[in-house]
Amino acid sequence: MTFSWKRVNAILQKDFKDFSRNTAVSIVIFLPIILAAVYGRMGLDSIQAHYMNINMTFAMVGTYVQCCLIAEEKEKNTLRGLMLSPASTLEILGGKSLLTFLLTIIIVFFSAFLSEYKPANITIVAFAIVLSTLFYIGIGTLLGLVAKSVMESSVIVLPVIGIFTVGSFVTAWTEKYPILKVAEFLPNVQLIELAEKVEQGAGFVQVFSNLGIIGIWVVVVFALTVVVYRKRMID
Amino acid sequence: MSLKFIGTEKHMHDTIVFPAFDLTITAGEVAAICSNVNVREQLIDILLGKKLLSNGEIQYSDEKKLAFFFLNEGLHELLTVQELLKFYHQLYQSKQSLEEITRLVQLDSKKNIKIKNLTYSEKKRVQLAYILIQNAETYIMEEPDQNLDIESKRIFIAVFNELRKLQKTVLVLTSHLETAVTLADKIVRLDDNGLHVIQTEEGESEETPKETVIEDEIEEKIVQPIRFEKIPTKVNEKIVLFDPPEIDYIESTEGQTFLHIKGENFHCSFTLNELEERLLPFGFFRCHRSYIVNLQKVREVITWTRNSYSLVLDDGEKSSVPLSKTKMADLKGMLGLK
Repeated sequence: MTFSWKRVNAILQKDFKDFSRNTAVSIVIFLPIILAAVYGRMGLDSIQAHYMNINMTFAMVGTYVQCCLIAEEKEKNTLRGLMLSPASTLEILGGKSLLTFLLTIIIVFFSAFLSEYKPANITIVAFAIVLSTLFYIGIGTLLGLVAKSVMESSVIVLPVIGIFTVGSFVTAWTEKYPILKVAEFLPNVQLIELAEKVEQGAGFVQVFSNLGIIGIWVVVVFALTVVVYRKRMID
Repeated sequence: MSLKFIGTEKHMHDTIVFPAFDLTITAGEVAAICSNVNVREQLIDILLGKKLLSNGEIQYSDEKKLAFFFLNEGLHELLTVQELLKFYHQLYQSKQSLEEITRLVQLDSKKNIKIKNLTYSEKKRVQLAYILIQNAETYIMEEPDQNLDIESKRIFIAVFNELRKLQKTVLVLTSHLETAVTLADKIVRLDDNGLHVIQTEEGESEETPKETVIEDEIEEKIVQPIRFEKIPTKVNEKIVLFDPPEIDYIESTEGQTFLHIKGENFHCSFTLNELEERLLPFGFFRCHRSYIVNLQKVREVITWTRNSYSLVLDDGEKSSVPLSKTKMADLKGMLGLK
């Protein structure tokens, strides 16, 4: 079956309307923005504070919204209809991911704007943010496939929000508990490290290792999603 | 263009869901398969490719997929009718006119209402519009008119006529003969005994008043070859009807009559004499003052003493029924002994 942008576009539009009218889900996108505005007014402008907000946007919008969009189709029994339609799974997930992707990027932009975060090298940071967004959407898809209802999805997304927003502070204790060094490889910690390097005037070459690690996370999550998807489809 | 079942057969856990049958539904024809829910669900799963046939095959034109009308279909409830239909239209890249379809299912006036605010019948009509948008060659409809209001039923019949004109193949899966008769031209009954074609009169399914007449005719036709001789029993407040061949034996205790069927007792309001009279043609035998036995189910005749006998039945529990001395002579006569 050929990949059709028209179908992806149709799903994108449908999901946007669905999403904007489902206030229980759409309200979360305001949370990071409000928080960013508060931070900006409080005058917090450390990289840690900016990125806690950005990482929260990823988890709240990228993961949670994506997870809900997929779980909702399951809960309302509409996924079967979509599966029987000429739209392939790639197109269905593509349409949904595209919506989440756009939302995430827009919210990240607004929160960065409101918290007055101005990266030294916008290209590298933008690239890293896009890459991270892919990772979080991957996680969202994965959880969406596992969750059976919107209710369930909002519960299983909590650990993700916990790990990837507050998890960044764990690095402070690595000297006391060496085992926590593992946390340094988390994509959110890598993103912060990258941002700090950028502030010190690093170019693409210096942050390559950080980008690489985030890239590996993206690949792992996507592979896992494919595996889970295949398994779910057999059931 | 057509849908063909060739030697289609399904077994599950050593039991037959439906035995091998052949059925061809040509283009422009609406066929209905009347069956119980198990058979219906199996058939749908097979058509969906979720389950495999035990034997045989189902043929249909592959170019365009089958369009399914499920009993429990989910619709995106937050969208309005128009938005949803437009979405399906884009998804299927359909070339049909959306206005025409909306008019056909008579939802023009509800265009801007959200799906969740529609009634059940209206949702079903949206679903009908959805499968019309698909413009498939073959439509599989599961219980299309169940729980619909009269207006929607009328619309469904109109849509079915439209599909006939467009030379589409439609298969209705239902448990209700009434649905089958109102919607379909060719009606078959499918159960674990196989496929039975139910004859209908030609060319009369157009006008509504006649339909009830046809229905009655069919009802009679099915029933006529078998004489209606069900035995009513009472279970709590319900009346349950049994076919005579199902009954193992009948017992009378303390002036009350009980039917014994597969190890269960059912109270019956008839007396043994009345039952004997009714059941004689079915091969029942009054073997004792307070027992009637189904001779087809008798396996053994046991002689205890010269004057005492007993019949052992072939049911699951091998229950035994007393046989009185005088009746023994009759039984021997019936069996052709002596």
